[in-house]
Amino acid sequence: MGIEIFYFLIFPGLLFCTVVGGLISWVDRKITARVQFRKGPPFMQPLYDVIKLLAKETVVPLRGSATTFILTPLFALFGATISAVFIMLPVLGIETGFTGDIIVIVYLLNIPSLTYVIGALASGNPLAAVGASREMKLMLSYELPFLLVLISVIIQSGMLISLSEIIAFQTSNGAFIGSLSGFIGFITVLMCFQAKLGLVPFDMAEGEGEICDGIIIEYSGSILAIFKLTKYIMFLILPALLTGLFFAGLSFSGIHILWSILKIMLIILLISLIRNTNPRVRIEQAMKFFWVWMNLFAIISIILAILGI
Amino acid sequence: MIDFRFLIFMPIVIGIVLFILPESLKLIKGLLSLIVTGTTLYLSVSLFAFSSAEPTELYQMSCVFLPAINSFLILNLDGLSKLITLFIGLFGFLYTIYSIAYVTKKKKLFNYYSFFLITIGASFGAVLADNLLFFVTLWGLLGLTLYKLIKSHDDQSSATAKKTLILIGASDSILIMGIGIIFRMTGSLSISSVNIATSGVLASIAFLSLLVASFTKAGAFPFHTWVPDYAQDAPASSSAFLPASLDKLLGIYLLARICLDIFELTSWATLMLLIIGSITIITAVMMALVQHNLKKLLGYHAVSQVGYMITGLALGTPLGVAAGLFHLINNAIYKGGLFLTAGNVEKRTGKEELDDLGGLSKYMPLTFLAALVFALSISGIPPLNGFYSKWMIYLGIIEFGSGPGIANKLWMVWLILSLLGSSLTLASFVKFISGIYLGRRKDHLQTVREVNFLMWLPQTVLALLCIIFGVFAANWIVPSLFGFTGVSDAGAWIGEWPVQMVSILILISIIVGFIIYWIGTLKTRRTCDSFIGGEQLQEEFSYSSVEFYKTIAALKFFAFFYDKAQKKWFDIYYIGKGIVLGFSSLLSWCHSGILSTYMTWMFAGITILFIILLL
Repeated sequence: MGIEIFYFLIFPGLLFCTVVGGLISWVDRKITARVQFRKGPPFMQPLYDVIKLLAKETVVPLRGSATTFILTPLFALFGATISAVFIMLPVLGIETGFTGDIIVIVYLLNIPSLTYVIGALASGNPLAAVGASREMKLMLSYELPFLLVLISVIIQSGMLISLSEIIAFQTSNGAFIGSLSGFIGFITVLMCFQAKLGLVPFDMAEGEGEICDGIIIEYSGSILAIFKLTKYIMFLILPALLTGLFFAGLSFSGIHILWSILKIMLIILLISLIRNTNPRVRIEQAMKFFWVWMNLFAIISIILAILGI
Repeated sequence: MIDFRFLIFMPIVIGIVLFILPESLKLIKGLLSLIVTGTTLYLSVSLFAFSSAEPTELYQMSCVFLPAINSFLILNLDGLSKLITLFIGLFGFLYTIYSIAYVTKKKKLFNYYSFFLITIGASFGAVLADNLLFFVTLWGLLGLTLYKLIKSHDDQSSATAKKTLILIGASDSILIMGIGIIFRMTGSLSISSVNIATSGVLASIAFLSLLVASFTKAGAFPFHTWVPDYAQDAPASSSAFLPASLDKLLGIYLLARICLDIFELTSWATLMLLIIGSITIITAVMMALVQHNLKKLLGYHAVSQVGYMITGLALGTPLGVAAGLFHLINNAIYKGGLFLTAGNVEKRTGKEELDDLGGLSKYMPLTFLAALVFALSISGIPPLNGFYSKWMIYLGIIEFGSGPGIANKLWMVWLILSLLGSSLTLASFVKFISGIYLGRRKDHLQTVREVNFLMWLPQTVLALLCIIFGVFAANWIVPSLFGFTGVSDAGAWIGEWPVQMVSILILISIIVGFIIYWIGTLKTRRTCDSFIGGEQLQEEFSYSSVEFYKTIAALKFFAFFYDKAQKKWFDIYYIGKGIVLGFSSLLSWCHSGILSTYMTWMFAGITILFIILLL
């Protein structure tokens, strides 16, 4: 019992993931600044952001459901942290998960997005409702290709459904990114995670220019700080899950440390470049993109996996 | 050993006696029903706790007045019957409590308690019966009481009642045909002794006939069409009791008997069941996504969830069967609860359209909390019960995928469709919860207050059951309730998802969150009206939650199907009606009333007869 609480709160859970996730978000902002020929924020900026938000005034909407509005960010933080534990333990090779844990991870990863939606709707703000509707439709869109690629991974690994077994299979038989099927699958999941992180071109749920931050419009002060922490955690665990599924996981022994950091940084670089070189698309364009093209990619990946290519 | 005559016949007899009492004594009728259902709950619990050494035990009831029918009154007391009996007893009791407050004099429901009690008694009998004739007698009675529990007060509700009666009645007659074929093939009418492989033509017809009966009762594609209409037009207590809980229990009970006892599934039967299961999941949830009426939305979900149960049972492995049955129980709990919360909302506001509701979470906090638990549970959010049974089904499908048959090879199709159905369910319940309880509070709902004790007690019990069945599933619920399927011996599949630990971590993270809030500025928060980009807020500016999935309905591919569904292309009742009316118009064309035409027909007939006789 004690060890689980340690996993959850310290390493590899809440504390570790927020610190590393904050670091990653700094890297992302630095890359963005470089692309736009700016200098970028200082190293400690993510920490300053959280501290600043904790000190700012909290405003609660008058005609919304205040209790739901205040409580939902806590569940977002819980969802992100518990997925962090289930993802990072096998990916870092600390402990093996249980049979069927990737399905549990899929469901747990949905909790943060779901709580954004419920929190936004509880605020009673019409702009937040527009954002919530978009976020929900986006979830419906990226869910299917992500699941299809998971099936492709399961087939490639010979019907293994535990993340640690999939990583072990890749360690002995070569990472899935090396096969054509794995490569296509990787690209598909990368797009899905871009949408899950709410980054351009799939940031229509926040849409600063048109609906003033949409789903988080009413959030402020310490409640927003919790959302910020959730975002940091997601910034680490989604790339980590990608390395687990396609790059044979991470490792912290000897020269592997360098490799592990390179793997994560490669994915962050890709995500950051995509977000900086694309405009925001409309929600129906995003739905079409995922439902037609990404599903097609994922199905091709499954067929290739069955053929063993 | 308990006396089964009390369990089965006491509710029926008292139900008939209640016909005599006048309607003005509704409260007395209700209290009497409460005593009866309380007794049957006690009996069903003691039946469940009673264990025998043998896995299947037959029990001979004896009738004092008519000893000749004794040979039909054989009961089958195996794990499956005991399980379903237990939950019929539980739901019967809870919904009686709810009905006392819900079915008031204003509701003009005549003989509600009589039909309610007859339903309970007949269900106990149908589930415990071993003899197929005894079974089908009580099963037929259930169709009639289902019809009588809708209040037909206008054209729409009487049409719904008629549709229900016709669909259920037709499926019952097909069931009788199937039982006839079984008797002809085996010479036996005992469920426990019959075991037929679904390979020959006759056996396949018998299998399909029984399947039609079970699908119609449970509400699976394509025989589901009475469920959404019933849910919309019947009083909430009837919808919660019948289509959401009891008919699922009975229909899936029959399916389990078909798959496990009466027939041995061959590969085509498994494939067909899996296809029907998947279609049921997806089509019903897509329809639910675009509904505006809250009860009808729930009705479509009542159909969609059946798909998971069929999928689980079709797998045929111990894990699959246990998962299907566990999902059945879970679904009965949360779907019944959802209908109760819908009834509360309707009772307090008088509105059923999502458009007219909103922001009720402040006025009806208990109902909101219960509805939220049910909605998260049906959407499969860990650690609630709906997630656990779905997870078992997914694992069952993957395990099934390593088998040799064609249905096994297509495992990824079944898996992906069930996973997709789950996320669509989540989407439509976001709409449900936000449309009723969240969002801006409407001015005409300012006077709404929470329902009374009798009405919130059942839903609270059910919500707690959702949590308990989720958190203690692995260690306690699944082995004790579903041990008879052999799931505990099937390997280390269940029990590994550390759900109790996760539940503790939820509490810890809430504490951590509150510490962060305490460090922060939440205690000195300010309340202020919404900021909408500097615009003045107007009533028409609010974004209604029914608009949520308009984009999906507008997509070309889906628009086609929604349009056709609107025109009732997929409704077997309307298709059947079209065929019957077509025949009758053909006959009425023949019966023109002109004597010379009749004479021509007669001569033609005589000529044909002569030719046949001469040849």
